[in-house]
Amino acid sequence: MAFTPVRRKAADPEASQTRTLPAGPPAAVLGVALLAALTAAVAWGSTAVPPAEVWSVVWRRLSGEPARPGTNDLIVWQLRVPRALLAALVGAGLGLVGTAVQALVRNPLADPYLLGISNGASLGAVAAIVLGLGAGGTLGLGLSGAAFAGALATFALVWAVARRGGGFAPLRLVLAGVAIGQFLSGFTSYLVLRAGDEQQTHSVLFWLMGSLSGADWELLAVPAVAVPLAGLWLQARARGLNALLMGDETAAGVGIDVTRLRRELFAVTSVLTGVLVAVSGAIGFVALMVPHACRPVVGGDHRRLLPVSALFGALLLVVVDIVCRTAMDTQELPVGVVTALLGAPALLYLLDRRPGSGS
Amino acid sequence: MRIDIEDLQIAYAGRTVVTGAHLVAAEGEITGLVGPNGSGKSTLLRTVYRHLKPVAGRVLLDGADIREMTPVRSARHVAALPQERGADFELTVREVVSMGRTPYKRAFAAEDAADRDIVARALADVGMDGHAGRRFTALSGGERQRVLLARAFAQDPDVLVLDEPTNHLDVRHQVELLALLRTQRRTTLVSLHDLNAAASVCDRLHVLHAGTVVASGRPRDVLTPGLMAEVFGVRAAVVDHPLTGDPLIAFDHRAPADDEEAGRVERGSPPSKARADR
Repeated sequence: MAFTPVRRKAADPEASQTRTLPAGPPAAVLGVALLAALTAAVAWGSTAVPPAEVWSVVWRRLSGEPARPGTNDLIVWQLRVPRALLAALVGAGLGLVGTAVQALVRNPLADPYLLGISNGASLGAVAAIVLGLGAGGTLGLGLSGAAFAGALATFALVWAVARRGGGFAPLRLVLAGVAIGQFLSGFTSYLVLRAGDEQQTHSVLFWLMGSLSGADWELLAVPAVAVPLAGLWLQARARGLNALLMGDETAAGVGIDVTRLRRELFAVTSVLTGVLVAVSGAIGFVALMVPHACRPVVGGDHRRLLPVSALFGALLLVVVDIVCRTAMDTQELPVGVVTALLGAPALLYLLDRRPGSGS
Repeated sequence: MRIDIEDLQIAYAGRTVVTGAHLVAAEGEITGLVGPNGSGKSTLLRTVYRHLKPVAGRVLLDGADIREMTPVRSARHVAALPQERGADFELTVREVVSMGRTPYKRAFAAEDAADRDIVARALADVGMDGHAGRRFTALSGGERQRVLLARAFAQDPDVLVLDEPTNHLDVRHQVELLALLRTQRRTTLVSLHDLNAAASVCDRLHVLHAGTVVASGRPRDVLTPGLMAEVFGVRAAVVDHPLTGDPLIAFDHRAPADDEEAGRVERGSPPSKARADR
């Protein structure tokens, strides 16, 4: 005997029929757009480089041919290509980490900063600048190292608090992260106030708002490994992430070891967040917004959402960084300023378009 | 496949909720769990689908301890319909039902034709074919419950574990869902609040009270006026249903059972102080 569904159909608005695309076409479109944006990012700037020259420089460098004299070889290869790639990697990482954390705490409003990790990274970085551990306030590896150490220490602290009471319950994780994050940002504010001179204060604030201006080939190495690895790790667990969305009991019922998955997810997203914050500062809004922008197109299934979020995050940050570099003649804008100014209206627009969930 | 629960003791949030529970769910039968709020029904079921670990005792699937199987392996035999409703992450009906294939798929593996076939059949079984592309959270309560049941069917289980599956459903949908369970020839372990529903669909009932099984047997033998007073604290007469002949429990809704009728069990743990059944 089967149910008779006919009576319900009349009350069913056409709008609730979701038309989600498979991942292929959106991913292909995003991939092409990302290549175009990367080219534009390298071509545009105080010295304009023709797109054809961009690719010829890249080609010559990759194939080991010597640079042609009179070209913008150094600008392209030493400054702009690493910066564009860093933007893409950080953006992809933020897209992944936002998607994963939203599943981890089963809350579409979550982002990795909710877990306190970035506050810890910021404290580490600011301590390095103010206490002079870094190279005199410039964005060097010393600063990244301090930021990453801060992120890991915070991760350990939040972990220790969240695991008590058993099982990394979502609410407990968020409350522990928020409380510890606020505590650490209090310290950060104190250090900023204590900063000796204006130059220090400026570089601290700039770092806190996120910047890709420290990009060079050396800085790319860690995110170039960490982001793809984390992406693969998450993709392998995409079904588990889907099950977490329905609830811990449902996930346990389909054979997921929920406590273990949560624990590993928290560790992987924390380390990835630490890596991203260490190389780019605390860039807000991207991790929160990217999954929201992608779900209406490819749906909530993580097997499609993860790769599309990574690509869209990469595209978004490459474009945002072009704006940051070129909007003002005299100085660069911090990335966080632009992501917030563009991201908040975009998110509100998405919320407005979204059909009510009915519960 | 049959389930034997032996001497199960479960603590939840630091409190012992189930103590020394014994029960059997026989192959192909519908076994009901009834009892007042806080008697431990949900907790016991959560241990069967491995959301909770027991403090002591065993859950056996055809004699094999489920805790000695990997979670994936036991999930191929046991599917659950918990009381959770899921957060709004824009999953479609098809994606929710496809979750049932999780224990069969390796990392990175896509669904093949056989998986899609099973998902389509599960949706058809609950009358939700034609709704596969809809957003799960846009469904009505009754539709959602049917989709979640389809998810459990898509797991192709030998044993179905259902926690209050008729909650929040109107009478028609309750009847449809229970009728559907009867047509499945799977071992089914189901907790039910509605004693009359339990009396007509279950082959066998176990009555939980304060974390232990206090009565087991056929509905007619178990659901007596004495048990109603002792365990549920209500006055009731048990008559034959005029249409089906099943036992029909007619409650006295005007006043609870008095102390003398309810006496023996109430002294230990009064059902009136119902604890949250979670």
